[in-house]
Amino acid sequence: MEQEIEQKGYVHPEALVTTEWVAGHLDDPDVRIVESDEDVLLYDIGHIPNAVKIDWVEDLNDPLVRDYLDPEHFAQLMGEKGITPDTTLVFYGDKNNWWATYALWVFQLFGHDNVRVMDGGRIKWEQEGREMTQEVPSFPRTDYPVPQRDDSKIRAFKEDVMEHLEKRGPLVDVRSPGEYSGELLHMPDYPQEGALRGGHIPGAANVPWARAVREDGTFKSSDELREIYEGEAGLSEGDDVVAYCRIGERSSHTWFVLKYLLGYDKVRNYDGSWTEWGNAVRAPIER
Amino acid sequence: MPPARQAQIAALVEHYQNPRHWSVLEDADVTMPGGSPECGGSVVVYLKAGEEGRIDALSFTGEGDIISQAATSIILEQVLNEGLAMDEVLALDYETFVDRVGREAVGSRTRNATLGLSTLKSAVRKYQKDNLHASSAAEPARSCG
Repeated sequence: MEQEIEQKGYVHPEALVTTEWVAGHLDDPDVRIVESDEDVLLYDIGHIPNAVKIDWVEDLNDPLVRDYLDPEHFAQLMGEKGITPDTTLVFYGDKNNWWATYALWVFQLFGHDNVRVMDGGRIKWEQEGREMTQEVPSFPRTDYPVPQRDDSKIRAFKEDVMEHLEKRGPLVDVRSPGEYSGELLHMPDYPQEGALRGGHIPGAANVPWARAVREDGTFKSSDELREIYEGEAGLSEGDDVVAYCRIGERSSHTWFVLKYLLGYDKVRNYDGSWTEWGNAVRAPIER
Repeated sequence: MPPARQAQIAALVEHYQNPRHWSVLEDADVTMPGGSPECGGSVVVYLKAGEEGRIDALSFTGEGDIISQAATSIILEQVLNEGLAMDEVLALDYETFVDRVGREAVGSRTRNATLGLSTLKSAVRKYQKDNLHASSAAEPARSCG
């Protein structure tokens, strides 16, 4: 276990690796480094040597239905990236690993749980002056078996959230305060990406997702995170928690924090999030 | 990487690193924010109107991904270099603009590529709405499905 990670006191410190660890495993055949960014061109202008790119839109979304790719396409994607079920995947990306945790969460739907996040993400790697390349690696194609997809443990649907609400289960809205309060809805020319109503799901605590990271992009310590999520937002270990945002990407970051760093066993990400809830007829809203 | 895509990315990165008309326009008639810093990117477009529906000056500030910021720089440069009037800006086609930015590089991120253009159109609409007597342009049709 790496000391730099261990001393932050996480329940599952194995979920994180340092940039130094990654630098020492660039050519490890059992490790595949995966970059997933919001800024889709970053990989093209430079990435960690031997890292492959996962595009959250083009690789992970179903092109027609609002859902993720199916098991057959997941297996195909893994085969193309030279990944086997035993490969250790290390995710990293821009924006405090926001999209890295989103990709990781989607991978978990397919049971690929040998996953890590590079603490500090792309920005830390760059700021340390580590090697970057534009060379796209090529790995021998693998025959990844078609997995079973299990959404029930870590994904919440609207009806699950309705049930959760009736039981007064804890919810975390990880959007900005302006979105939470209902002041911000969407861009005028893109109504399809917004919602007809603003506000938040009743009872949800507002903890903007990026509060979980320090200025250098690394995750805050366990004590600091507990102060935010338990001290301020009122969560308790053992809670059944649902996190949401606009389309479920920012909340995957909070999902990662609660599940791995703080050790909450029952955390689900509601990826329908506000673009579904804020458009749903008679869905209760609080402002 | 295919050469066309490589060239498009290089052009976008050049605009991203050296954005044209990147400043706050102190005497702007309209200051129009667009997008979200939380998602893709955000820009603020500043518009100074001229006479008879013309545009005297444009500028923008913003933060976000390469595509959204570079494409905003590209559209402002185009409008000012070509001397487009407000109605001509409103008539600009989003798909044509994505072609100009580079469809291979933009891929599925067409929203990011058109953030600047849509915000600029919003600025023009706001100016025309606030100055109805000075414009013969009708409010564009909106889909209310």
